[in-house]
Amino acid sequence: MLRVTALGALGGLAAGPLVLLAVTSVAHHWYWPALVPPQWSLRAWAYLATPGAGVIEAAATSAILGTVVAGTAVAMALPAARALAARHVRGRRVVLFGLLLPVLAPPLAAAMGLHSVFLRLGLTDSHLGVALVHLVPAVPYATLVLAGSVANFDTDLEAQARTLGARPAQVWWHVILPAVAPGLAVAGIFAFLISWSQYLLTLIVGGGRVLTLPLLLVGFVRGGDEAVGAALSLVFIAPPLVLFAGVARLLREFR
Amino acid sequence: MRAGYDLRLVPVMLVVVGLFGLGLGAALLESVEAMGGDAAGSTLDHYRAIAIDREFHAALGLTIWVAAASTAISLVGGVGAALVLRRLTRGRPVAYAFLQIPLAVPHLAIAVGLLTFASPGGWVSRLAFTVGLISAPAEFPALVYDSYGMGIILAYVMKEVPFLAVVATALLLRLDDDHTAVARTLGASRWQRFRHVTWPMIAPGVGSAALLVFAFVFAAFDTPYVLGRPYPAMLSVVAQRRFLSLELADRPGAMAFALVMTMLAGTLVWAYMRLSGGSAGRERPVIY
Amino acid sequence: MRTGRLRHGFSVVLCAGVALAAGCAPEPAGPDLRAADLAATPWETIRAHARGTTVHVGMWAGDEARNRFFQGPVTEAVAAELGVTLRITPLADVADLVSKLLNERRAGRRSGGSIDVVWINGENFRTARQAGVLWGPFADHLPNIVHYPDAAKHRDFGTDIDGFEAPWEVAQFVFAYDTARITDPPRTLGALRQWIERHPGRFTYPAVPDFTGSAFLRHVLVHASGLDPEAFLHFDEARYAAASARALDFLAAIRPHLWRGGETYPATPADLNRLFVNHEIDFSMNYSPSFASDRIARGEFPETVRTFVLEEGTLSNYSYLAVPFNASNPAGALAVIDHLLSPAHALARVRAIGGLFPQSVESLTPGDRQAVALLPRGPATLAAETLARHRIPEPDAEYLVRFERDWLREVLQQ
Repeated sequence: MLRVTALGALGGLAAGPLVLLAVTSVAHHWYWPALVPPQWSLRAWAYLATPGAGVIEAAATSAILGTVVAGTAVAMALPAARALAARHVRGRRVVLFGLLLPVLAPPLAAAMGLHSVFLRLGLTDSHLGVALVHLVPAVPYATLVLAGSVANFDTDLEAQARTLGARPAQVWWHVILPAVAPGLAVAGIFAFLISWSQYLLTLIVGGGRVLTLPLLLVGFVRGGDEAVGAALSLVFIAPPLVLFAGVARLLREFR
Repeated sequence: MRAGYDLRLVPVMLVVVGLFGLGLGAALLESVEAMGGDAAGSTLDHYRAIAIDREFHAALGLTIWVAAASTAISLVGGVGAALVLRRLTRGRPVAYAFLQIPLAVPHLAIAVGLLTFASPGGWVSRLAFTVGLISAPAEFPALVYDSYGMGIILAYVMKEVPFLAVVATALLLRLDDDHTAVARTLGASRWQRFRHVTWPMIAPGVGSAALLVFAFVFAAFDTPYVLGRPYPAMLSVVAQRRFLSLELADRPGAMAFALVMTMLAGTLVWAYMRLSGGSAGRERPVIY
Repeated sequence: MRTGRLRHGFSVVLCAGVALAAGCAPEPAGPDLRAADLAATPWETIRAHARGTTVHVGMWAGDEARNRFFQGPVTEAVAAELGVTLRITPLADVADLVSKLLNERRAGRRSGGSIDVVWINGENFRTARQAGVLWGPFADHLPNIVHYPDAAKHRDFGTDIDGFEAPWEVAQFVFAYDTARITDPPRTLGALRQWIERHPGRFTYPAVPDFTGSAFLRHVLVHASGLDPEAFLHFDEARYAAASARALDFLAAIRPHLWRGGETYPATPADLNRLFVNHEIDFSMNYSPSFASDRIARGEFPETVRTFVLEEGTLSNYSYLAVPFNASNPAGALAVIDHLLSPAHALARVRAIGGLFPQSVESLTPGDRQAVALLPRGPATLAAETLARHRIPEPDAEYLVRFERDWLREVLQQ
């Protein structure tokens, strides 16, 4: 009994704000101290769906940016992770510091500096510039995540396959890839989420011209339309929730 | 395997050095620019100005407080939750699913959600009014725009407690039950078992994860931007405001500000590497 | 071997980079029109050059109704009348764009700018003008400029316009209250002070640098000084010293009775409205006289909300349209600005999203004059005559800049 109520309370705390956002997005004339909205309206959702609102464009930009950043980050991270897993690599501690710093240090300083550089290269206000700056936290993070999972990979399998006469491509396709695939997926999803949630980096380098969901969301929250802000929040949260559900299963497998 | 520079690290280091390093370098160059542009030479004036800047000190104080409080609460809450969940669920996965929900939600969304949920005009306040605990919104504790960053701390706690709980759970799972069993037969109470057997074994892993949380909260922007008050603001908010200021003269100062923050964060990273030794990077900090 | 994966990785990045770069190919821009050639170029030529091009307009996009109006009917009207594709670039704050222009100028990007038209006024215009990041002069060449009063064309918050921006919308500061909570709101600054002292914690205003909060401070500066508002049209150091001293005294006196004891202030008008609607404070304020009616219609304000102005008058100002120095399509920009200055657009806009009709009625055709008289007025919007009778001009921008700085130092950072 205690177990059920404790779990229920946890569940309520975790899911409560989400439910509240959903209710706020369809509420009309809902003020303090009313617990339940007196009227309902689909105005906010209808607005999100209109092509002129920029929501579809922002969501598409966020999704495409996230995918490109994730793909690039994972493609770069895999060889690096494999290198890190081999204990004899020179300068390992330096590399590790170099990977941790972009992840943990405020992205502000680098973004400001990159903004000046990109200004002279004409890369500001462009999708390419924003993608590049998203790589700064995404690539090291993907590498760290992947290094953790690759470390468990047994290089003996690889060596055995080679002595049995398999060509490098066959070794890669049939031995290495299936083993690192879960790790790749996890790293890719995290890299996607990092790009998806970026606000400051996109704002500084994109100059407001590259419109992503976080930028739109902050605009509406600061602009005051509660219902639209709530609806947009849900649109913003949905893909991470879905992706994370996929990751959770993978996480349990290869941990 | 021959020890040498591994070419496979090149793409990643290209990003780290070529983008991150380049950005820092450019920021550094601009931060020592004297008034009057490139011709006027370099100066450390901007850094000196930060040392005596009242807003910087207020921001630094607030940021350290918020980061420390968030980390401490998340540490206690996370480890506690892990222990409780372990007893309640006997390791069944369904309970951990609840933990994953906050982990998946981006920080920005949690901040926005808290505005509707925990502000004096928000839903919890209305509930309090309905059950008679308060009679006006002003009586509800100020969690948003308050001077101690309570709302900000709450927003981070909502995500970092699950994170530390997951880390602690993973560590607890690897523990050998034999040690605690022996302690129990020797008559140790549950608290003694935790304090002297369990905790020392999970402390390093949990400690380094907590350090990650501290570093992240220290530098983050999204949440304090949405939930914080104009003054004192947290460090990253002040830096951003100065960067976007109309006075071009503020720009080098903003760069210096951000670089000082980076240096402070750099020491945290160094401390983290010392603490976790060879296993650095095993945790996955929830940084989005 | 291992390099195979390396190559694979690089090619992925390369492909992605090319795809991205290809995806952001620039839209066709009009031929470069130089401001110096403007006098010699007939208006028809400019319109011809604009046809078939795209014009990017940077404007504040925090309001859903406004966005919908500009992205819908206005875009269609511009396409139909001018053959121009209109693209709205949402801005959270014009100051960000001006900052961007300053940086671009410093980096030498004199062409290919991402924005062609910007909605701007006041302090932002002053900074942009002083830094030389605006294209012009152009305003006098626009046929529709005749509909605006001379006063709007000469000075913007005390800064000489010299044709570098064209007047567009007009705003007047109003306060809002809930008739369900208050039956008789204070109508003078002195009465407001008494009300605040008698009802502690029920009033506040947005913090500087928010424009609305700054406007409230300007009201205090002008009205607490005891001087005629006209005295503030030109900056005078001695006058500023005397007026700011009295204004700061006023603000210090009401501070302990404000919301949260005056220790903090909401950051934006949206936050202020949220406090107002959730019964934390009893007043809101805004530069748009129809802001309360708009929100009632949207379901954000209860139907009992009404607005009022101070007996001593509230500030009114024009906002303008300008062209950044590195705009990639100046001809298109001018054509679009002229369209936005037309009475047809002004009528459609007021009908769709409220606000005051900005143009001089004398310059209009009888048909349009009729239409103006028949413009709908929301339940919470004051009559145009009431607003006109209680209208005072904005002080010189220097008063603004100085008092904001003093407020930050003396009030917020205490």
